[in-house]
Amino acid sequence: MKRIRTLLFLPLALAATFLLPETASAADAGAAACMECHGDKSIEKSLPGGGTLSLYVDMKAYRESVHGKGACTTCHSDAKAPHDKLEKVSCGKCHPDSEKSYSQSTHGKGHAKGAREAAYCSDCHGKHDIRKSGDASSRTFRLNIVGVCLRCHKDRAIEEKYGLPGQQVMEAYEQSVHGMALKKSGLLGTAVCSDCHGNHAILPGDQPRSATHRQNIPNLCGKCHSGILEQYEGSVHGKGMRGGIAESPVCTDCHGEHRITKITDPTSPVFAKNVPKTCSACHEKEGISSRYALPKKRFSTYMDSFHGIALEYGMTKAANCASCHGFHDILPSADPASRVNKANLPRTCGQCHPNAGPNFAKGPMHVEVTPQKAMGVFAVRVFYTIFISVLVTLFVLHVGLEFFGRRRRKRMEEGGKG
Amino acid sequence: MTAMREGTTPSATVVRMSLMFRIQHALLMVTLLVLALTGFALMYHENWLGRTLIRLEGGFLYRGFLHRAAASLLMGQLLFHAFYMLLTREGKKELGEFFLRRQDFSDFLQSIRYNLGVAAEYPRFGKYGYKEKFQYWGATLGIFLISVTGVLLWAETFSMRFFPKLVLDVTLIIHGYQGLLAFVILLFWHVYNEHLHPSVFPMNNAWLTGRVEAEWLRLEHPLEYEKLKREGVL
Repeated sequence: MKRIRTLLFLPLALAATFLLPETASAADAGAAACMECHGDKSIEKSLPGGGTLSLYVDMKAYRESVHGKGACTTCHSDAKAPHDKLEKVSCGKCHPDSEKSYSQSTHGKGHAKGAREAAYCSDCHGKHDIRKSGDASSRTFRLNIVGVCLRCHKDRAIEEKYGLPGQQVMEAYEQSVHGMALKKSGLLGTAVCSDCHGNHAILPGDQPRSATHRQNIPNLCGKCHSGILEQYEGSVHGKGMRGGIAESPVCTDCHGEHRITKITDPTSPVFAKNVPKTCSACHEKEGISSRYALPKKRFSTYMDSFHGIALEYGMTKAANCASCHGFHDILPSADPASRVNKANLPRTCGQCHPNAGPNFAKGPMHVEVTPQKAMGVFAVRVFYTIFISVLVTLFVLHVGLEFFGRRRRKRMEEGGKG
Repeated sequence: MTAMREGTTPSATVVRMSLMFRIQHALLMVTLLVLALTGFALMYHENWLGRTLIRLEGGFLYRGFLHRAAASLLMGQLLFHAFYMLLTREGKKELGEFFLRRQDFSDFLQSIRYNLGVAAEYPRFGKYGYKEKFQYWGATLGIFLISVTGVLLWAETFSMRFFPKLVLDVTLIIHGYQGLLAFVILLFWHVYNEHLHPSVFPMNNAWLTGRVEAEWLRLEHPLEYEKLKREGVL
């Protein structure tokens, strides 16, 4: 019976949408009947768990909404005065695509399983007062979306119940370059929750179909940062990622996720001083360097160099990994287009040291002090270590000997005198 | 001290360091100390020693300024000293005293033999024995080497034009270890000879007063003592 009613309703609803001018007056008449009760601000019902639910409908807000030219019965098809509890409104009748993707999302699945807190259509879009997302007063207007998501995602009880990322993640977004662009500058072009996570089809990032799954991240960020994506695609990391190497870094591995800040921010993982640590998170890993035959000890040799020491003590103009190797466009040194290819080193070093020509670029840049890698430095170090040790030993011996010698001299002098 | 034995009156003193040399010595002491503190700050940058020193020196930038300021002073002094020793009357005389001779080597061997109880006589030194000569020439050579390497590293824009990075890496390591060597020698040899040695303990005051007691000279540098006697200074 219910299904038949639904089927009958569909053409009616469609007609209502297309024949709005004619139906508006009829709808007004219908609405007036509803408003006899629902226009009363004090009308409410008690809930089974205690508390009350207001049944008041703000007719003005409804009329101004995107559905405002419809009739109450367009959505509440089973309503007649007076009535008992109505059936739940089904938005999918008119918005089938949205409903389909919602039903496959983490919210939709949760809702179907009876998770009371899982966001439903009305939680994000509102009920009688739904407005188009382009309307600045809409809940789903770009500048308002974060607030809508955070209503639940900043609620500690919900986070704990469903094991969601903690408050600090949400706060990190508000402090991030995207969050600040939104909050401080009101930029429509900034990334809000739905730009990365999607809207109806939100899924956790560990599911391959999620917009925020690792393999989808470069394209996701590339939606806005298109020029960077192009550079990244040509880099060794980009090629690796496209080649199915899951370990190959994507945007978020270096920049972070919610907490992305400007590179001038000292807390950013790509702030000059933090770059060596960020790169070494992978490049100092034994497994990664042997799997991809990467040179080892890049971090320690860098940190021991002039550049490394200067950077460690806060001179951010000293060269860090990215100054020589590049960042989005990193290529292996064997590639002729690489900034650290032997042929390109004079130009790369020349960014800061104008006299560092081809002659200067001879020899290794990361000096690993072993006989094979840097014989000169190794030999000097060994020579001095031996030389200093021998000298100290001889000094100690000499001091010891002199102690005996002086006792002998003293005895002889005293003996000679006596 | 082993004064009050025979010959001279106990209070008789004799000039060992003129004012000119005392000034040079004091300057050398200050510059070497500053250079060591600012240099080791960089050499041991990764541990507490370096971190503490760099903090005390007002940060990384000021550590560099201090190091290069002291280095400029030291190099100026090295040049001044070279000219002073080669061109002035006092300098020429001192340089003559410092000349290395075959005798110094045999003195060294004899002192060892004596200390071991093999030789019967302790060597008789002139104004400067093998200990002082080792200190003087060691320091001069060391300061020369550390100045050359230091200038190459300081003028990196110039050096990079002529030397591969390979050479500058070696230059850096020589500079650091030469500093360590100088520090170790000063600590062991100089502190022992001029402070801890029983004949001068707790300190040879000559670097402040310029004078030593004649009796000390008679015992430690008998040839110089006799020479001064002959010249009628004593």
